[in-house]
Amino acid sequence: MVGDKSWSGRIFNGVNVLLLGIIGLVTVLPFIHVFGSSFATAGEIASKKFLLIPTEFTLDAYRFIFSTSTLTRSMLVSIGVTAFGTIWSMFISVLTAYGLSRKDLMGRNWIMFLFVFTMLFNGGMIPTFLAVKETGLLDSYLALIIPVSINVFNMIILKTFFQGLPGALEESAKMDGCNDFGILFRIIIPCSLPAIATISLFYAVTYWNTYMHAILYLSDAAKWPAQVLLRQIIVLASGLSYDNSVYTDVPPPSQAVKMAVIVVATLPVLLVYPFLQKHFAKGALLGSVKA
Amino acid sequence: MNNQLTMSSGKRAHIMRNILKNKWLYLMISPGLLYILIYKYIPMYGLIISFQNYKSYQGILGSEWVGFEHFERLFGSPDFWMIFSNTIILFALQLLIFFPIPIILALMLNELRSEKYKRTVQTLIYLPHFMSWVIVVSISFVIFTVDGGIFNSLLELLGFEKINFLLKEEWFRPMYILQVIWREAGWGTIIFLAAIASVDPQLYEAAKMDGAGRIRQMVSITLPAIKSVIIVLLILKIGDVLELGFEHVYLLLNSTNRQVAEIFDTYVYVTGIHQGQLSYSTAVGFFKGFVGLVLVIGANWLAKKHGEDGIY
Amino acid sequence: MKRKVAMGMLMALAVLASACSNGSGNASTGGKENGGSEGTGGQSAPAKISIMTPLHMAETPDPKIEQLIEEKLNVDLDIQWIPASTFPDRMSAAFATGSLTDIVNISITGANREAIRDGQFWDISAYIDQYENLKKLNPEVLNNTKVDGKLYALYQGRPLSRQGIIYRQDWAKQLGLSDPQNLDELYTMLEKFTIEDPDQNGQKDTFGLAERGDLVSGAFKTIASWNGTPNEWGVMDGKLAPAFMFPEYKETMEFFKKLRANGYINSDFPVTSKTEQQNLIMNSKAGAYIGCMCDVQQLYTGLAQLQPDAQLEVFNQVKGPSGKFTVFSGPGFNHPYLFPKSAIKTEEELKQVLAFMDGMMSPDIANMLYWGIENEHYTVVDGKAVPVKEQAKIDRDVKPYNTIEVGDSATNSRLEGKYDYTPMQKAQELFVDNEAFVVPDPTLMLDSDTFTKHKDRLAQIITDATYNYMLGEMDEAGFNKAVERWKSEGGMQMIDEFNAAYEQNK
Repeated sequence: MVGDKSWSGRIFNGVNVLLLGIIGLVTVLPFIHVFGSSFATAGEIASKKFLLIPTEFTLDAYRFIFSTSTLTRSMLVSIGVTAFGTIWSMFISVLTAYGLSRKDLMGRNWIMFLFVFTMLFNGGMIPTFLAVKETGLLDSYLALIIPVSINVFNMIILKTFFQGLPGALEESAKMDGCNDFGILFRIIIPCSLPAIATISLFYAVTYWNTYMHAILYLSDAAKWPAQVLLRQIIVLASGLSYDNSVYTDVPPPSQAVKMAVIVVATLPVLLVYPFLQKHFAKGALLGSVKA
Repeated sequence: MNNQLTMSSGKRAHIMRNILKNKWLYLMISPGLLYILIYKYIPMYGLIISFQNYKSYQGILGSEWVGFEHFERLFGSPDFWMIFSNTIILFALQLLIFFPIPIILALMLNELRSEKYKRTVQTLIYLPHFMSWVIVVSISFVIFTVDGGIFNSLLELLGFEKINFLLKEEWFRPMYILQVIWREAGWGTIIFLAAIASVDPQLYEAAKMDGAGRIRQMVSITLPAIKSVIIVLLILKIGDVLELGFEHVYLLLNSTNRQVAEIFDTYVYVTGIHQGQLSYSTAVGFFKGFVGLVLVIGANWLAKKHGEDGIY
Repeated sequence: MKRKVAMGMLMALAVLASACSNGSGNASTGGKENGGSEGTGGQSAPAKISIMTPLHMAETPDPKIEQLIEEKLNVDLDIQWIPASTFPDRMSAAFATGSLTDIVNISITGANREAIRDGQFWDISAYIDQYENLKKLNPEVLNNTKVDGKLYALYQGRPLSRQGIIYRQDWAKQLGLSDPQNLDELYTMLEKFTIEDPDQNGQKDTFGLAERGDLVSGAFKTIASWNGTPNEWGVMDGKLAPAFMFPEYKETMEFFKKLRANGYINSDFPVTSKTEQQNLIMNSKAGAYIGCMCDVQQLYTGLAQLQPDAQLEVFNQVKGPSGKFTVFSGPGFNHPYLFPKSAIKTEEELKQVLAFMDGMMSPDIANMLYWGIENEHYTVVDGKAVPVKEQAKIDRDVKPYNTIEVGDSATNSRLEGKYDYTPMQKAQELFVDNEAFVVPDPTLMLDSDTFTKHKDRLAQIITDATYNYMLGEMDEAGFNKAVERWKSEGGMQMIDEFNAAYEQNK
C-alpha cells in the first residue's frame, strides 16, 4: 500500500490508532467500573474507594439475582422473543423494504409516505392497547412481537441499502427468468449482508430491551421477559421514587445487585455480537458477484 | 370530453398493467401495509382526544368536546417559547455536534489496518448503548458531583476551583450532549460501517493505481458511497426534532436548570399524564408530530431537489 | 365492517407469524373471567377475586402466601403485580379498556377523584358496618378517604409520622453532644460534625447533614415542621393559606441556605438521590440524616461493614423556637382500596369482595401479609413478631404482600414487631410518640377543583423557587415573585376554593 509507507501515512495511522484507543478506553472504563462493582461488597461501593477493581471479591450479587428461578426463566423468554421477533421483523421488513426500493413500483412514494407518517403520529397507548386486545394477542408472547413488526426507521435504512445496489444485478437475474421473490432471495439479500446484519442487530436489541409492552400486554408476571425484572431492579436501586405518596418498608436492592443486573443484561448481546460482526466485512462479496 | 375519457381509461389500463407486472412486489409490501393499518392507522383515532376533555372511564365516544382548547393552552402558556427554544437548541446540538461524530468514527475505524484492533475498538464503543439513561446519569453524578466527585477532586488537586456541574444551568447543555455522545456515538457507527462495507473494493484498487492517498480515497470514494445513507439518516433525524429523549432529559432536569432544560416531553409529563390529563399530552404529541412532518417533507424535498433519493 | 376485514387479515397475519416463529407463543386468548373453577374441595365453589397492586420489589413473590389465603378464605385469588414505576400507565390503560380488577389500589386524588365522583366506584358507606372486622377500621382515617362525604375506600394503615433524625452517636459523644433538643442544638451538631473532626482522623473530611433532592420525604419538610411551619396549608388570620406563605417556611429555607453556605450539608443535595444520600452516611462522610427513622436499619447495615464500631441513634423531639415540638403527619393511610363498578357488577358480588376484605383483616391473615408464615419468616417472642435473620427470604416471600394489607396493627390485631437492633426498636416507639404531636394537613378532606387539576404544575413553581433560594440563586424578592406567579396561575383560585370548603366544613 502506497499511502501507508509515506511519512504522512504513518502519522495518520499512528494518530488514528491512538485516538481510537483513547475513545475505546473512555467508553469502556465506566463499564469496567460497573463490572467491578458487581463483585464488590456494599460497603466498598459506598466508600467509593475503588475505581475499577474492588479489593474484596464477592459473588453475592450474582447469587442474589440467580437465587430464584425468575431470572433464568425470564432470560429464556427474552431469548425466545428476541430470536423469533428478530426473524419475523427481518422477514417482513426486508420484503417491504425491497418492494419499496424498486423505482418501477407505482404509488411507491405514497406508500412510503404512509410508513413515514406513522413515525410522526401515533394514537397513543390506549388505542394501541385496544388494537392488541381486539386482535387477540393479549397475554400471548406474540403481543411483544406482532404490534412492533416493523420499525420504519430500520425499514428505510434497509431500503436505502437495497437502492444502492447496482441495477445491473437485477437485470441479469431477470434475464435468467427469476421473479421478484427470486431476485430478492437469490441476489439482493446475499449482496446486502452488512445491512442485513446491522438491521438484525437493531431489531434484536429492541426486542431484548422490551419491557413496557410486556407489562401492558401480559398480565401473567411469569411470562415477563428479563428486562422487566432488570429494569425494576435498576429503578429501585437508583432510588428513583416515581410515586412519593407510597411508603414502603422494603429496602432497595444493593448497588452491587444493580451493577450485576447491568452486566447480565448486556452480556448476551456482547456474546452475539462477534457472530454478527463477521458479516459487517462481507461487503467484498458484492465485488465477487459482479465479477 | 371524449378525449379525456379515453385518456383516463388509457391511464387506467396503464396502471393495471403496471400493477400486474409488479404483482409480486405488491404482494411483498402487503404484510407491511397490513401491519401499519392495524397497529398504527386504526389506533390513530386516539388523536381525537386532543380535542376533548378525555376521561378514561367515559371513553372517546362519551368525553366532552372542547375544540382547540388544549392547543390554545399550549401556545398560550407563558412557558411555551422557553420550552420551544430549549427544544430547538438541544436539537441543534444533536444535529451539529452529535450527528457527524459516528460518521467520523466510522471513517476512522475503516482506516484501521489491524482487523483485531478494529473489532476490539468497535465492540468497546458499542457498550455504553446498553446502559439505560438512569445508569448513565447516576454515573455522571458520581463523576461530577462537588461532594467528593472524581472530576472535582481532580480539579482541586490541580489547584483549580471546584465547578458545580450539576446545579449550574450553563452546564446542563454540555452535560446533555456529552452523555448523548458517550452513549450513542459508538452505536451510531454501525450503520455507516455497514455502508462502508458495501463499497466495491475494486474502486479502492483503481484509486490506488491512480496514486490516491488515504485521505483522498476517503473523500472521493468512501464518503460519496455512504452519502445516501447519511442523507437518509439526516432526514430521519430532522423529523425527530422534538424527540430528545424524555427519560434522559427528565433525569437531568432539576429546579436550577429548568429554564434551559425543560422540553415538551418533560413539560407534558408534569402537566399532563402525571395528573391524568391525557388530552393535553395528546395535543402536545399532535403538535410535535406536525412539526416533524413539516420538517421531514421540507428536508426530503431539498434532498430530492439535489438529486438524492430521499426517504420517500 | 372495515374493522372486521382488518381483523380477518390480521388473523391471517398472526397465523403467518406463529408459523414463522413456531412455539414462541402459546396464545391464551381466554379472559380471566371464564377460567375453570377448580374448587378446593370445600363446600361452595371459591369466589373469584382479583386485585391489582404495585410491586415494590424486583420480583413477584413466591405464591405460597397467596395459596394459603385462598385456602383460608375459600377464594380463587388473582393478584396482578405491577412494577411500581409503571403503575400509573398500566392503571390508566386498565381503566380505559375496562379491564380493572375487583379491587384496585390507587390514590384518591387527581383524575381518580373525578372518576369517583362520576360514580365509577362502589359507595361502600352502607355496607362496612355489616362486617365484623371492617367495622373496626379507624373512623377518623376512613373519614380522610371520603369523597363528598361518602365512603368509597378501605385503607391500609400507616403510622402518622415516622419523621425524625438519625445521627452518629459515637461522633456526638466524642464532641460532647447528645440528642438535639431544639433547632439551635441541631445546627450546632451539624456544625460540629463538620468543623470539629468527629472521626478524629485529623482531616476535615466530614460534614453534618446528608440530604437528598426531595422536599417532602427528605429533611426539608421535617425541619420545617419542627420549626412550626404548617403542613402544606395553615390558618393565617382566620383563613387557609399555603405553608410557603408563612414566615416559618422562609426561616427553614434560610436555615438550609446557611447550612449549605457553610458546608454543613452536601452542596449537591437538590440532585442527590436517596442511594447517594445513604452512601454519605454509610461511608462516614456525613453524621446526620433526617427523614424516616425506619431507615436506621438499612443505614446501619451499610455503615457497620465499613466502620464496625460506628453507632447510630434515632431521635424525634426537636423543638422549634416556640419551645414546642411539632411534626407533620401523613394521612394515616396508604393505598386506598377502591371497588370499580366495571369489575364488580352486582351488589352480591360487592358483598363477596367485601367479605374477602373482611377476611383479609382477620389476625392470622393480617400477620401473614405483614410478617409471613410463623416459624418460617418470623417467630413470636413475648407476643411480638421477631423476623428471622434471612432478610432476603422475607423480602422475597413476604414483603410484596405488605401492599395488600387491610387496616393496620391497631385495627387488624396484627402482631407488633420486635427488632434486634436497638435503634430500630426505638424508632418503632418514636413513631408512636410522634402521634401526640402531629400537625395534619387541613386541606386533606377539602376539595378544590384547581388543586385536583393543577397541583403538580403549581407545586413546581414553589419547589423551584425554594431550591433556588436555598442555593443562593434567588433572593427573597425573587421568592416572593414566584409566589405571586403561583397565585396568578391558579393559586389564588385554589386558596379561594379551599377557603370556601373550609368555611362549609367548620
